Amino acid sequence: MANGTMRYSRGRGNAQLPLAIVVVLAIVLVLLGKAQSSLFDRARASFTDWTRPALVWVSMPFDKASAWFDGIGGIFVVYEENQRLKQENARLRQWQSAALLLDERLKRYQLLLNAVPDPALNAHTARVIGRASHPFLDTMIIDAGKGQGVKPGEAVVDARGMIGRIFLSGERTSWVLLLSDLNSRIPVTVQPGNIQAIMAGDNTPNPTIDTLATTTPLKAGDQVITSGDGGLIPPGLPVGVLVSDGHGFRVALMADAGASQDVRIVDFKLPPEQPPAPSPNDLPASVAGLKPEPPPPLPVQQVTPLQTAQPAAGGAQPKPATPAAGATPVPNPAAKPPPKQPDTTDNGDTQDQ
Amino acid sequence: MTVMSDRLGWSFRSAVGASIPFLCAVLGVIASNVPVSIFGSMVPPPMFGLMPVYFWGLVRPDLMPPFAVFVIGVLQDLLGGGPPGVWTLSFIGAYAIVDRERDSFAGLAGIGAILGFAAAMLIAGASAYAIIAIYYWRMPPVAPIVVEIAISVVFYIPAAMILGLVHRRLVGPLRGDF
Repeated sequence: MANGTMRYSRGRGNAQLPLAIVVVLAIVLVLLGKAQSSLFDRARASFTDWTRPALVWVSMPFDKASAWFDGIGGIFVVYEENQRLKQENARLRQWQSAALLLDERLKRYQLLLNAVPDPALNAHTARVIGRASHPFLDTMIIDAGKGQGVKPGEAVVDARGMIGRIFLSGERTSWVLLLSDLNSRIPVTVQPGNIQAIMAGDNTPNPTIDTLATTTPLKAGDQVITSGDGGLIPPGLPVGVLVSDGHGFRVALMADAGASQDVRIVDFKLPPEQPPAPSPNDLPASVAGLKPEPPPPLPVQQVTPLQTAQPAAGGAQPKPATPAAGATPVPNPAAKPPPKQPDTTDNGDTQDQ
Repeated sequence: MTVMSDRLGWSFRSAVGASIPFLCAVLGVIASNVPVSIFGSMVPPPMFGLMPVYFWGLVRPDLMPPFAVFVIGVLQDLLGGGPPGVWTLSFIGAYAIVDRERDSFAGLAGIGAILGFAAAMLIAGASAYAIIAIYYWRMPPVAPIVVEIAISVVFYIPAAMILGLVHRRLVGPLRGDF
């Protein structure tokens, strides 16, 4: 625009060599980011922690202005809105009664069936201090981090449904990957029908949905909830409803990430699955038709009365009878067999039962 | 003694003047990445960081060297939250094209200057799109980057006026160019 009024420096200033160097550096950066993204993530988390007060300070007037503009718009429809809310309230009261009855019935059935109860969910509440909507990234920043127990992978919800999940945690701030982001893929269930699917963001407001079976019947208006597959996100969190886009279906999200001020981070952890103990038939020698060798004798510390007895007051501590390093323990046939120890794994970790 | 202090003062002012374009670009990157949604997340923020790169890369490339563009790109990647190196490489790509075709771009004024920035932004956006597609090995939607390019070009009109003002009032006088 104003270029025509400027005095130009026409010389290239031997910029070709530095240009080639920075091109190479940038390519190295891309490759390094792909291979070692944690380096960049740590720097980013530290930077966000450091700028947290500024973010809170900057976002405050924008939040106030946004709320004010919303309020201005609402003044003109306040009567209609009041009538609509009264009707909705009456309808929801009926649903509440039905839900309470069904909840009681469900608890009775679970008791009768001795069903495993759902794991309890812990949640932290955090305030949204920033939003970033870029062409290839849709995120928000919340003011809770590792210091508050927030960990990457945890689901973030607002009053209406799931918003996204934590993908980077600093000490006092965390970045939330929104469901609409290009990198977001979560397992969901379409109700009714319990249809399993994957919901994938593509940086548009309505993420796409891919069902695992190609012949599953979907229809607009079906509810989408989290399936809990993978054990990271709790099952049953409301996500959205199916809407048709002409070619297929997309998910109209229930939560409004652009308007959420306070969110909850759901800490959900399934107990780790315990692999079954290997039977002798699983051993390679057994499969090959060979008789498995008996396990070698463990270097058992003989439990003697001296070791188990309390030392006398003022007396010297008895020295444990440990075999010398490298020495083969000699079984003592006269000694009583040691009490049976709990089963331990090869690396010495005791399995939690 | 007086001559020496005059020379030191002149050098200091010159250094300050030379750093203004870089500082403007840093401010632009920060402004682009302040994580506050002004338009309710409906519109992406303009790419303010590229505007000083284009402007001074064209007007005074000695004040916007390739290494400065690299640092500005790294900052954009760091603050933007995306994969590292994407905007760094894109900014350098746009800068390289502008540097190569400076004789064509330099004579542009008015609408032409805006179209020149549109071309630079198009190169940067297309580069970023291609890198992201390779990075994730799938095609991202085109609409968000098109909106980003469009909004950046629209915002370049007032930004170019401000940058021109900064160049005339600060950079030039501090460096004794005018």
